[in-house]
Amino acid sequence: MRDSGKRAEGGRSSTVSLTVNGSGHDLTLDNRTTLLDALREHLALTGSKKGCDQGACGACTVLVDGRRVVSCLMLAAQCDGREVTTIEGLSPDGVLHPVQEAFVRHDGLQCGYCTPGQVMSAVALLAEGRAGSDQEIREFMSGNVCRCGAYPNIVAAIREVAACDAAV
Amino acid sequence: MTMAEAVPAALGPGVDRVDGRPKVLGAAHYPSDVTLPGMAHAALVRSTIAAGSIVRLDTARAADMLGVLTVITHENAGRLQKGKRNLFFPPPAAPLQDARISYHGQYVAVIVAETRQQAAAAARLIEVTYDRDEPVLTLDDAAASSQSNPYFIDMKRGDAKAAMATAEVTVEGTFTTSPETHNPLGPFTTVAQWHGDTLTVYDSTQNPFHVRAVLAASFGLAEDDVRVLSPYVGGGFGAGLRSWPHTILAALAARVVARPVQLSLTRPEMFTGVGHRPSTMQRLTIAATRDGKLVAIDHEGTSTASMGHEAPTRKPPTRKAPLQSLLKAPDEQPYPITAGTAAAYACPNVAARDKRVRLNIAPIAHMRAPGEAEGNFAIESLLDELSYELGMDPIDLRLRNYAEVQPQTGLPWSSKALRECYTVGAERFGWAQRDPTVGAMRDGRWLVGYGMAGVTFNHYQAKCHARATVHRDGTAHVCSGATDIGTGTYTVMTQLAAEVLGLPVDRVEFELGDTRLPQAPQAGGSGLTTALGSAVHNTCVALVQRVLTLVSDDADSPLRGCTIEDVVAHQGRLQHADDESRGETYSEILGRHGLSELTVDGDSAPSRAEAGVIVGSLVVSRLGRFGRKLVGASHATVPAGGFGARFVEVRVDPELGVLRIARIVSVNDAGRVVNEKLARSQIIGGTVGGIGMAIFEETVRDPDSGRVANATLSDYLIPVNADVPDIDVVFVGGPDPANPIGVKGVGEIGLVGVAAAIANGVYHATGRRIRSLPITIDKLL
Repeated sequence: MRDSGKRAEGGRSSTVSLTVNGSGHDLTLDNRTTLLDALREHLALTGSKKGCDQGACGACTVLVDGRRVVSCLMLAAQCDGREVTTIEGLSPDGVLHPVQEAFVRHDGLQCGYCTPGQVMSAVALLAEGRAGSDQEIREFMSGNVCRCGAYPNIVAAIREVAACDAAV
Repeated sequence: MTMAEAVPAALGPGVDRVDGRPKVLGAAHYPSDVTLPGMAHAALVRSTIAAGSIVRLDTARAADMLGVLTVITHENAGRLQKGKRNLFFPPPAAPLQDARISYHGQYVAVIVAETRQQAAAAARLIEVTYDRDEPVLTLDDAAASSQSNPYFIDMKRGDAKAAMATAEVTVEGTFTTSPETHNPLGPFTTVAQWHGDTLTVYDSTQNPFHVRAVLAASFGLAEDDVRVLSPYVGGGFGAGLRSWPHTILAALAARVVARPVQLSLTRPEMFTGVGHRPSTMQRLTIAATRDGKLVAIDHEGTSTASMGHEAPTRKPPTRKAPLQSLLKAPDEQPYPITAGTAAAYACPNVAARDKRVRLNIAPIAHMRAPGEAEGNFAIESLLDELSYELGMDPIDLRLRNYAEVQPQTGLPWSSKALRECYTVGAERFGWAQRDPTVGAMRDGRWLVGYGMAGVTFNHYQAKCHARATVHRDGTAHVCSGATDIGTGTYTVMTQLAAEVLGLPVDRVEFELGDTRLPQAPQAGGSGLTTALGSAVHNTCVALVQRVLTLVSDDADSPLRGCTIEDVVAHQGRLQHADDESRGETYSEILGRHGLSELTVDGDSAPSRAEAGVIVGSLVVSRLGRFGRKLVGASHATVPAGGFGARFVEVRVDPELGVLRIARIVSVNDAGRVVNEKLARSQIIGGTVGGIGMAIFEETVRDPDSGRVANATLSDYLIPVNADVPDIDVVFVGGPDPANPIGVKGVGEIGLVGVAAAIANGVYHATGRRIRSLPITIDKLL
């Protein structure tokens, strides 16, 4: 791009095959497109939020092959052939996931903007077995910034789901 | 109908946030989630100097990029009108009107392209040549112009100077706070669409009607031809109280390309584009008797502001007469720091005054407890110092000077439970276990400190309108054009309507975030619940009244001839208060009268006492004892804001300087708490903001260029989960009689006092009195 000056030099594109929330998609994308922008702008999945676009806030957290990633730091092209789960994939039938339910019950949200990322991160954290204590939850949820300051309630929500999981 | 009878099934601690479900599903649509057919994307180019002017702008390469639709600069933007005069929320300077630059980050161009990526890439190709002036960037710069009494609310009573001269004990200190950036997590976004000469915008705002007024003025439209939608806002904290240039630019871009345009600020742009908490400096002296009775307070606060609209490039603005500049065209938000000083304690001699210094910095904005948080930090820190000087417990010192009446006017408070805040807080925290000796409490290598602070918060209420409809199916729809920035407005208004109408919460829908709805004030000043809640209450009472009017001579109605005092509303039914069998449902009434629905409009207004307190305080300031007599003769009551007490345990590693907050107890008199779950969240959130202010947050400006050097969320530190301990939130006090629903605002008070309590805890632990925020590691080594 540096030596452009021609209109045609806007950035090349690639075809990317993604499985998102169980459905396959073949997308032709500007190479500069992040996974986050691909989800939001090409698949209309706006549940994943852009808080900083620099990997610092966690609002865009999704699962790629089961692992949590900040989707603003990943190019969509890097996800070719991989499986992505977003907040929309957590409750496809409209029935809240236990983590979502617990967030509502414990008021683990205020403006709600960081919430999809918090929820995805919490779901992954439980799967990672990192919810053994409040201290552990706090530490492993610290990649998800909540400017409204709902942290104590987020911890309470995760603690409750972890306790239910342990009881099962 | 009395409130005691309208049994609060709708109220109570357990009601979940009604907007919780869409938010956890990712289904709440914020402005940045809005996509319209044919929508283009805009990106901004910002100035890289803080003062001077643009000499040359080369846009050719950018304009030539694939997908670029237009590049707008001051050379082709056309004339934009300045927004209407507004004292509290001065409209922004019309963007891209000339070559002058008055801060680093000022917009110099906007690019519109088919995609976000194309617009962002093209923005990097704009080349700007500047003629750079020497910027004025710090409060203590000799070239900075300082204005005294800029807001006309300097206050005094008695003679502080004379009292100081003979006082037994005097403490003094200079306190500073750093600029902070609101950083709501949702980047502010505007989506603008024109239909002929009418404009619709989706906007991140706390003040939609103000945005509407500014856009209408900018483009020469009638306000009715502008519609602002903001049903979900990704946080505000004050950044959304003013209107900002990017909103105007989005509308301008949409008009130029004749397509809808989305303009979403980047995180770095959020540091210069939507305001910041200004830096402040305070000089404070407190004098007392040996036994702890305050005799004088002298408080001077200085805050920084941008150069404003008529920014000259080489020199700071001329020293216009302050009144003239205030009346002519306020161009910065008032930011008084000492406004609460005269109301905090019973002290016979007080002098409180403010100053404003203009710098080459981006415009400021009120940020959660603007001025109150800074002023409280100084006063509550210095009172702590005084308590050591006197060898007196800090709570006892505050109780010794408890303001039984509003001390500046001498008028009674509408309600005040600050004493309970202290006693309940001390009990829950275990204050009695505190060894007052500095450095005496340890836990292993950690020094342990207990600190506390008191809070007196101001009251605010503005005019507000609402509309309520009951449908034949027994549901209700209530609405007003307010915003819910995460505070719980959707939920609390649903509850307040359900309470009056006697409906279950799930039969009431509350709608907001649209300027086509009745006009509401900003979500700010901790005043929306009071204003909107009162409007919703009054409107729903009027709706019940209307229903009763409908059946007033209806022979088939058991409610025939009933007045509102005769009935209660319960489970969708109006019934006689003394015989519940005699009543009928809204559905039955509407059905029999062939109506599908019934709608009324209503409103609420602040009492005359609201403005009277400020006027009264100033009258006492000017006329002394005579003024006090005059004000006293009004027999008015002072509408009270919230009161609070903070108790904090800090831990300091003396070798590393690491400071951790171990636990916090926050007790607040918030009047009647409509929804304890959500009110608690507000206090928790405020407390977390207070932790940020106390130990993390500082917007760092490069001293040469004026560039914000830490404009990312990795460099600008805000509290993360691991920084926040358990926070014990307690509410005391009862319904405040100053408004029909008995509430006081809880949006901001939670933040106030946290910084002082932490600083006081740090002193208790270490013996180091930190008078400069944030308290970072370097200050503790």
